Amino acid sequence: MRPPLRTFRGQLLAVFVPVLALAQGVTWYFVERFNEREARHQIEVSLQQAAQTFRRVVADRNAHLRTGARSAARDHQIRQLVTGDDPATLASALQSLRGTTDSSVVVILDPAGGVVASAGRGGPEPALAPRLIALAEADDSPRPSAAGYGYFGGVLHSVVLVPVQAGSEVIAWLLIGFRIDRDFASDLKRLTGSDLVFLGADGAALAGTLGESAQAPVAAALRSARAHAGLREVTIDGGAWLAAFRPLFTGKEQAATLALVYSLDEKLAPSRVAGRYLALVTVGALIAGAAIALAFARSLARPIERLAEHTERIGAGDYGARVTVGREDELGRLASAMNTMAAGLAERDRVRDLLDKNVSPEVAARLLRDGAALGGEEREVTILFADLRGFTTLSESLGPPELLALLNRYLDRMSGAIEAHGGVIDKFIGDAIMALFGAPVAQGDAPSRAIAAARAMETALAELNSELAAEGRPPLAIGVGINTARVVAGNIGSHRRLNYSVIGDGVNVAARLQALTRVPDHRTNIILSAATRAAAGAAASTSRPLGTVAVKGRREPVEIYAVDTGDPASHGTSSRSEAPFFSS
Amino acid sequence: MNRYISAPLLVLALLRAAVSAGEIRVEVRDSQGTPVADAVASLTPLDAVPPLRPPAEPVTVVQEGEEFRPRVTVVVAGTRVNFPNRDAVQHHVFSVSRTKKFDLPLYRGEPREPVLFDQPGVVSLGCNIHDWMSAYIIVLATPHFTRTGETGIGVITGLPPGRHRLEVWHPRVKATLARDVTVEGAGSATQVIALTLGVDRRVRRAPEATGGSYK
Repeated sequence: MRPPLRTFRGQLLAVFVPVLALAQGVTWYFVERFNEREARHQIEVSLQQAAQTFRRVVADRNAHLRTGARSAARDHQIRQLVTGDDPATLASALQSLRGTTDSSVVVILDPAGGVVASAGRGGPEPALAPRLIALAEADDSPRPSAAGYGYFGGVLHSVVLVPVQAGSEVIAWLLIGFRIDRDFASDLKRLTGSDLVFLGADGAALAGTLGESAQAPVAAALRSARAHAGLREVTIDGGAWLAAFRPLFTGKEQAATLALVYSLDEKLAPSRVAGRYLALVTVGALIAGAAIALAFARSLARPIERLAEHTERIGAGDYGARVTVGREDELGRLASAMNTMAAGLAERDRVRDLLDKNVSPEVAARLLRDGAALGGEEREVTILFADLRGFTTLSESLGPPELLALLNRYLDRMSGAIEAHGGVIDKFIGDAIMALFGAPVAQGDAPSRAIAAARAMETALAELNSELAAEGRPPLAIGVGINTARVVAGNIGSHRRLNYSVIGDGVNVAARLQALTRVPDHRTNIILSAATRAAAGAAASTSRPLGTVAVKGRREPVEIYAVDTGDPASHGTSSRSEAPFFSS
Repeated sequence: MNRYISAPLLVLALLRAAVSAGEIRVEVRDSQGTPVADAVASLTPLDAVPPLRPPAEPVTVVQEGEEFRPRVTVVVAGTRVNFPNRDAVQHHVFSVSRTKKFDLPLYRGEPREPVLFDQPGVVSLGCNIHDWMSAYIIVLATPHFTRTGETGIGVITGLPPGRHRLEVWHPRVKATLARDVTVEGAGSATQVIALTLGVDRRVRRAPEATGGSYK
């Protein structure tokens, strides 16, 4: 198992998953921030609208009460009762008016502000009447009145004051109002959607839509608020709320404070649900993305691994294997290219194999390197001819399979000895061997190599003979002729079949020298030409001159030399047994 | 403006009063110095009870063009006031003032009988069906009085010499302004009165054909 980051899959995941996670995370963060800001803004707008709605509702109800009060103030009987001395009747008339106008309190004040009669719970706080009368007297509109907030028996009311006139004489004031209590707050909440808390002049909660425990933190927030402007964050029952405060004035006196509150959590609830969905989608997308990345990596890695495996097999020499990845894309093309390559390699291998068997490895290598067009060239080559003596006798005593087996065994040993010294087998001619030194690859010491090869052949034959003796077979003998000459080398044959070989007089001379080993007087198995001897230098220094012989096909006689090996017995044996052959 | 009057002069004045009556000229201005009309100034002798001779015929306050005319009427106690209606529509004249409460329910033309104002004081008149209609009847216990015109000036003549209480009333003044003055023989003295006027509480007539609106 490779470390995760060393695999394509791991790398893809390492890039893909963090990028996706980052993108999703940043998206989530900005969406959250936007939602929160938007919620606060919406709440601010809601609270502003709620404050406006409150003022409008109060103004409407005040207008309604003012109209009712004005009607009552110009009622003749009321005027008479106001100036009469029957406060009980006046009070009961006010009670009736309270019902008609749907108000909470109705009070008749004398021109100086003293209470004459009243209906409803609680009397007005002492400061209220003078304050309102001052406001009404300062009102220079055609129909003067005053409105504000005041307390009746400690309960906050919205109140309206109108004069009761006889002619242009103000004979009394009519004070009328409605209670600002929990019911009123609930009505407003239905209208505005915001919660309301009314706070007294001392900052204590009076009434509202929230429970007692929830009103206390709102009151505390008001006390800590320096100005009424702006939103304040309030913690109610562990939840975050936003509160806006509005002062409620009677003239220039602040009678109470309206607190409008809205739950931030409630406003954020839908976006929190959306946030949770987004988080789910994020996780899902990450999982799906990772899975897709894995699948994609696998779909790539599998064929790549197969191709790598295949390449390793090709590297190991298995050109027969074929790879399929089942794809039409670049990988598919790579696979088919590799198959083509393997086929090409296999073909080359086969050709090389055939070459190796049919031509010498050097020729094969040169053919593969330079192509089949080995043009003719003249070069100095040392040619070695070896012939098996007594083969004809042998062929008569053995059956064909045994004969071929023995011949191949012999040629194998000889070939080994020649190749071991850098010789190239040019061809087998029946039981004869023609070998080249210095071609097709030039060798500076070709003559010496040829001589060494001839000696090695003698040694190899001696080994073979001892094996044959063990098998109860007669020994074999050879004759070797070596000549060095300039010859023409190249591919010889038809355009379908070519053989690399050499031609020239020097080749014939080598064959003749081989034949001369049969002359008993020479007492040698290896004969060199003077040219070889001269070129071999030290390697031929121990050669024994055999004089000059005339060679068929050559006008000049050839000087020849014998190479004596350390095994004259073999020569003796062969010469003895072969006597009839030579004498024939 | 009070004047310091020495005892010999006072004696002289009293002697002169026996032969000729005095006169007080009143100039009423508001705090900006603007002349104030419809102010009522009266002088009540402090050392004698003045004889009151209410007129035999009733004083008239008419309703015309859905307004009272005149707006301020001054009478001595015991005077009868008639309220003829010269409009095509009916009126309901009333007062809820302590001085004189009365009701003249809807009527046209002459009411059945005039209203007797026998107590001194201020009577605020209204019409029960026309809120803007307002008027005052000032009932005095002295025959020496005047009502200022547009110039803010009124003159009280035929005054017996001696100490008097000068009282000035106006619809837009909450409390009557009072001041002691001494009337000399046949001289004419001028009293400049500065009043601080309150808000004009007259209900303004509703303009025709307008819809109601929130204030």
